[in-house]
Amino acid sequence: MGHAQNKDYSQRDYDAIVRDGEELISTHCCFCGMQCGMNIRVNKEDKSVLGVEPRYDFPMNGGRLCPKGVSAYRQAEHVERLKHPLIRKNGKLEQATWDEAMDLIVSKIQEIQGKYGKDAFGIYSGSSMTNEKCYLMGKFARIGLGTKNIDYNGRYCMSSASVGFNQSIGIDRGSTNPWSDIKFADVLLIAGSNTAECHPLSMPYIWGARDRGAKLIVVDPRQTKTALVADVHLDIRPGTDVAIANGLLHVMIEEDLVDHDFIQNHTTGYEEVKELVKKYTPAHVSEITGVAVDKIITAARLFGQAKTGMTMFARGVEQHATGTDSVSNYVNLCLVTGKMGKKGSGVATFTGQGNGQGGREHGQKTDQLPGFRKITDPKAREYIAGVWGVDESEIPGPGLSAFEMLQALGKEIKGLLLICSNPIVSSPTVGDVGEYLKSLDFFVCMDFFLSESAELADVVLPSTVWIEDNGTMTNVEGRVLRVKGIDRTPGETKRDWKVICDIAERLGRGQYFQFNSPEDIFNELRVASKGGTADYYGITYEKLDKMQGVFWPCPTEESEGLPRLFEDLKFNFPDGKARILAFEHKGPNEKTSKEYPIILSTGRVVFHYLSGNQTRRIEALRNLCPDPYVEIHPNLAKKYNIEHGEPIKISSPRGSIELPARVTKITREDMVFVPYHWGKSLAINHLTNPALEPKSKIPEFKVCAVKLEKIASHAGEKHG
Amino acid sequence: MAKVLYIDYERCIGCRACVIGCEECSGHDHLSRMFVDELNPGETVAASPTPCMHCVTPACAESCPVQAIAIADDGTVLSASLEKCIGCKNCTYACPFGIPRVDDVKKVMYKCDMCYDRTSKGRPPMCASVCPTDTIRFVDEHEIKSEPPKEVQFKWDFGGTVIETRTVIGMPDTETNRYGFREGDGVQS
Repeated sequence: MGHAQNKDYSQRDYDAIVRDGEELISTHCCFCGMQCGMNIRVNKEDKSVLGVEPRYDFPMNGGRLCPKGVSAYRQAEHVERLKHPLIRKNGKLEQATWDEAMDLIVSKIQEIQGKYGKDAFGIYSGSSMTNEKCYLMGKFARIGLGTKNIDYNGRYCMSSASVGFNQSIGIDRGSTNPWSDIKFADVLLIAGSNTAECHPLSMPYIWGARDRGAKLIVVDPRQTKTALVADVHLDIRPGTDVAIANGLLHVMIEEDLVDHDFIQNHTTGYEEVKELVKKYTPAHVSEITGVAVDKIITAARLFGQAKTGMTMFARGVEQHATGTDSVSNYVNLCLVTGKMGKKGSGVATFTGQGNGQGGREHGQKTDQLPGFRKITDPKAREYIAGVWGVDESEIPGPGLSAFEMLQALGKEIKGLLLICSNPIVSSPTVGDVGEYLKSLDFFVCMDFFLSESAELADVVLPSTVWIEDNGTMTNVEGRVLRVKGIDRTPGETKRDWKVICDIAERLGRGQYFQFNSPEDIFNELRVASKGGTADYYGITYEKLDKMQGVFWPCPTEESEGLPRLFEDLKFNFPDGKARILAFEHKGPNEKTSKEYPIILSTGRVVFHYLSGNQTRRIEALRNLCPDPYVEIHPNLAKKYNIEHGEPIKISSPRGSIELPARVTKITREDMVFVPYHWGKSLAINHLTNPALEPKSKIPEFKVCAVKLEKIASHAGEKHG
Repeated sequence: MAKVLYIDYERCIGCRACVIGCEECSGHDHLSRMFVDELNPGETVAASPTPCMHCVTPACAESCPVQAIAIADDGTVLSASLEKCIGCKNCTYACPFGIPRVDDVKKVMYKCDMCYDRTSKGRPPMCASVCPTDTIRFVDEHEIKSEPPKEVQFKWDFGGTVIETRTVIGMPDTETNRYGFREGDGVQS
């Protein structure tokens, strides 16, 4: 029997099998925010990685794994792993020694910063790495390099959810509730998330709710595997989330399905919303969104009448020029119906990256210091300066956000350190991003595979894979977890946290980076986060092992964390009241036109992760989904005389790409969908719109206007 | 208590974790014995996994000329014995579910043995262990056949020949369009 907090999860009562000559390393998957527990099978003698064994006793997934999780270990012994540092000589990356590489990096940092100022060297970081590393990157940027320009790829992922949660309920933890609460919801509204494919391990919880008779409402332009089993599928036109939420609010207010006591005692702003949504009648919303009137009414009734319920959303809602409005508007659904602060009632966002939660808490964001503190807050600066042992004036202010940073390469940013990200695949207008990266005076990248971005670097440093490192991650629900690794560094690979400390040492800043282990870094992180919103002070490695993870905030040694937020209905604002905010529907930044009449939306498939740098190299996953495709409705395909499997040209004002058509009824007739996990000529991000959400700075990946063209060589061909 | 595979088609997301997981079983030589099919491509994303159905009277074993296919005490129909199998493919013709495969290089049949090295030690097979959506579960045979949570099928009529299987299939609710076969009328259940 585990800790009480894990009682309602999906662990199973079986032991893992240990085979002769092997040992099991109990760790977590390196991919999405679910952070499923798994055992990695390791040869006792030579420490080689042999396979995976279910970790039945881990609460979140009870041994279950998606195809990425089952095959994740296959990276460890992969033939394409980088084993030596590489330096660009005569235009080609050639093997070099660590000393050569480090000398070059340090001299270039000093040269660039001496010539152009401290901020001319930037760091573009990622969230698929441990809290310790995320914290270290933030600290290294501020007091190792002294640059204000650090940001991270979570800007493309979780930033709208972060802003939306903060402005509505005053705290940004991916889920206000433990994941087990999903089972106790009477209604689930899932928006802009193909949960079944992108977070498959949430499905046992969703099925748990349905087995109790819960209703499922799915808001998605495509009839995904999640929408397939919905009671109501609101198949909205991409970019109309604000309108559909306003429509649902309208019906619930009209039919008095709101919780007046909750609104009066625990929220502000209801009257403004009530006024604003008057004009969002089902008929009007139907016009905007393309969703049938009766579906809107039914969904609103199902949601409003249920005693408990959760709204959950993901990138489909957030990667928009109005992403933060949409997030807050979906939170509004829970606030007006009083579905907060109790078992089965709350809001959640499905974290995309493995450490999408922790990665946005401890100072990687350009506007932030550890513990979710604002870098512009004098008190926060004072406190962190004290922890780091520097003068407050040494900590720079906020710099550029991720995409703005890329746009500044070669201009105000002359040198870049890239770690744990592949922006030349994952950014909008990737054609331009390649040019930005090439215009740098100096570009250094740390990775364990030669990613498309690393191919352009002047220096590539080989780092270890996740199974060779120790530390903590924070999962989708705000549970901090221990990841454990094997004590090995194949070839000349080094752990990236050690490399960063080494660079700091060579820059003469070594006294601030005296860490001998991830636990050392974590213990400093604990102090740095103390008193902040994301307070990890009471979390220790020992406690994490004992409790199978601890939810933040955990402010004291005695505390066991807080799985469910707001049970006291005191929201994180001075008056303790949540904010019901009113939003007008503005629609996407780029509207369709005569020339570009079709909407393009991008997203994930179950077989791949982010830019595909890891999953495309795993044979089993590559075989299951080798190439991208254009998902297109039969009626639209007919209009262009396109057959299933035929390559078609798809263009936006920013570029074009040729991909095979996948004709299917699951997508709307006015749009096409393309997965984004491929690089170079197969990168759909050549086409996407770099318009940024004003508050969160997330690019609008989910909507842009495109045209389709039949490729001449296929015109007039007869298909059998 | 004999345990069997229970497969609820409605929950399958077609992710093939079971297919890859099957390779991870120690007795499987990194060769998957699991199949996943798209049920109606182009119309719906519905998919379904198919392991061995572990027939009560298995046609594969009955048709084997060299008795290479053994049935374990608990009813599990094992993969062909490497020593006995002659790769004649009789079993592949006999099986009404299309389960056995023959490795043309090794000239030996291979099929799902319900991860016998795991199930004989009380652990679920790999497919049921890893299935992320609880589509494939490892449950008590008597319970699932006598008190199923929904409509199930484990007797199959092949032109008058009825075959009972130990693997139990949970039938999708096509009546209320939970499986994407009926154009929605707004509310899909």
